[in-house]
Amino acid sequence: MDKLAYTSVNAMKSLMNRQTAIANNMANSNTVGFKADMVSAKSQYLNGPGHDSRAMAVERPMQADMNSGSVTQTGRSMDIALEGDAMIAVQAADGKEAYSRRGDLRIAASGAMVTGDGFPVMGAGGPITMPPAERVDIGADGTVFFVPQGGDPTQPQELDRIKLVSMTGSAISKGPDALFRAANDGVLPVDDNARVISGALEESNVNMTAALVDMIETSRAWETQAKLLRTAQELDESSAGVMSMPQ
Amino acid sequence: MSNSALQVARTGLDAQNTKMRVIANNLANVNTTGFKRDRADFETLAYQNVVTPGAPSDAQNRFASGLQLGTGVKLSGVGKISTQGTLQNSENALDMAIEGGGFFQVERPDGSTGYSRAGNFSLTAEGNLVTSDGLPLIPAIQVPQGATALTIGNNGTVTATLAGQNEPSELGQIELANFTNPAGLLSVGNNILTETAASGPPQVGEAGTEGLGNIRQGALEQSNVNIVEELVNMIETQRAYEVNSKMISATDEMLQFVNQQI
Repeated sequence: MDKLAYTSVNAMKSLMNRQTAIANNMANSNTVGFKADMVSAKSQYLNGPGHDSRAMAVERPMQADMNSGSVTQTGRSMDIALEGDAMIAVQAADGKEAYSRRGDLRIAASGAMVTGDGFPVMGAGGPITMPPAERVDIGADGTVFFVPQGGDPTQPQELDRIKLVSMTGSAISKGPDALFRAANDGVLPVDDNARVISGALEESNVNMTAALVDMIETSRAWETQAKLLRTAQELDESSAGVMSMPQ
Repeated sequence: MSNSALQVARTGLDAQNTKMRVIANNLANVNTTGFKRDRADFETLAYQNVVTPGAPSDAQNRFASGLQLGTGVKLSGVGKISTQGTLQNSENALDMAIEGGGFFQVERPDGSTGYSRAGNFSLTAEGNLVTSDGLPLIPAIQVPQGATALTIGNNGTVTATLAGQNEPSELGQIELANFTNPAGLLSVGNNILTETAASGPPQVGEAGTEGLGNIRQGALEQSNVNIVEELVNMIETQRAYEVNSKMISATDEMLQFVNQQI
């Protein structure tokens, strides 16, 4: 029996993974600061004696589309959109530093400043904790100002500066918690020139039209592989027919 | 074979559907006095690891990034956006608007304190100042019968000219409360919010001091819902819903094709 069937099944498995990634991008088209996932496959030849005619589709490590999403004004003082390639340093669940583009910050019950998905935001000396405050504002360079309880609203005090880093020139990848991490547990350097827009949020960068086209393309590629599978079956049947004993 | 694309698209439909409810509630409350609009916050669900980042690709090298497939989206919460609503003059002496931060304190039927921005107060037959639902203000303000020229100052001082007197006399002082994190208050309906662990304890004070807003008599704070913004959000949500449902039908067709062909 020819191994064509296995090549096709492998491709179909790969295409369903791709479809899942596209579905995830579509589902997250409204998630603040979401970066679309890009799935690609490479051909893997099994080199050896004979003619290299068989190539398996093998998924390549996934990358995130780091293009900026659109920025919308929200008017909320603790919403920030990051300019350029800046990222907010946050503390991941394992206590290590990770990076996010989510700028919908809020104060957790513990007083910690957290991102919209609940990761503590890092300042110059570790996670930022807010004292009881009447009002919190974030400056264009990420400095957090607050008016203490009972304080003078015209005299905001400086609390800390959100650790903003630049990802330029560093290998970063997205983890299972949708946070970005530097390669080999590295820590990205503080970017003093990083700027934020306060009162605005960066929307998801999922391009719906492109996602729809990718979806259709994947569906059709899947059908082609299913056809090949069917053809492999027919070839097998006919060769079995040739070799069957005359009755 | 895993058909997880179907399940992932379903999470998208669920989340967009819930967002639509939040938008519908905002739109429904566009004329509710003191209403603060809600915003639906989305969050990615966990990723499935197919190739772990950092896993060895051969004896010397490691994968710089992994292959992870997302499992969709969920609504992480609904946050109140507490920007100031526009003030509308009503020329009613018992209407009050808060200009700036702070909430009116009212006594709920169970004796606990509720917090509200809705300043459309009225008087009971006994002369008590109550909300439109009849909940008395804290501290209680009693207006004697026959009192005229009821005036509420910017700092919440209530004065009136009592029957048979020429000089206005002070009836009480309205106090406002504010919270470290007003977005953490719990909405219990009827324009009332209650304290939670996330909001922190209330700080009560005279209006106009300690970051509390001024009281404006004869005006009402409109809801801060922006119709245009909500309509744009509605269209965006509707489109996102459509795209996710397209994904479901596309994946369904893929599986259907396989079932028929093979």
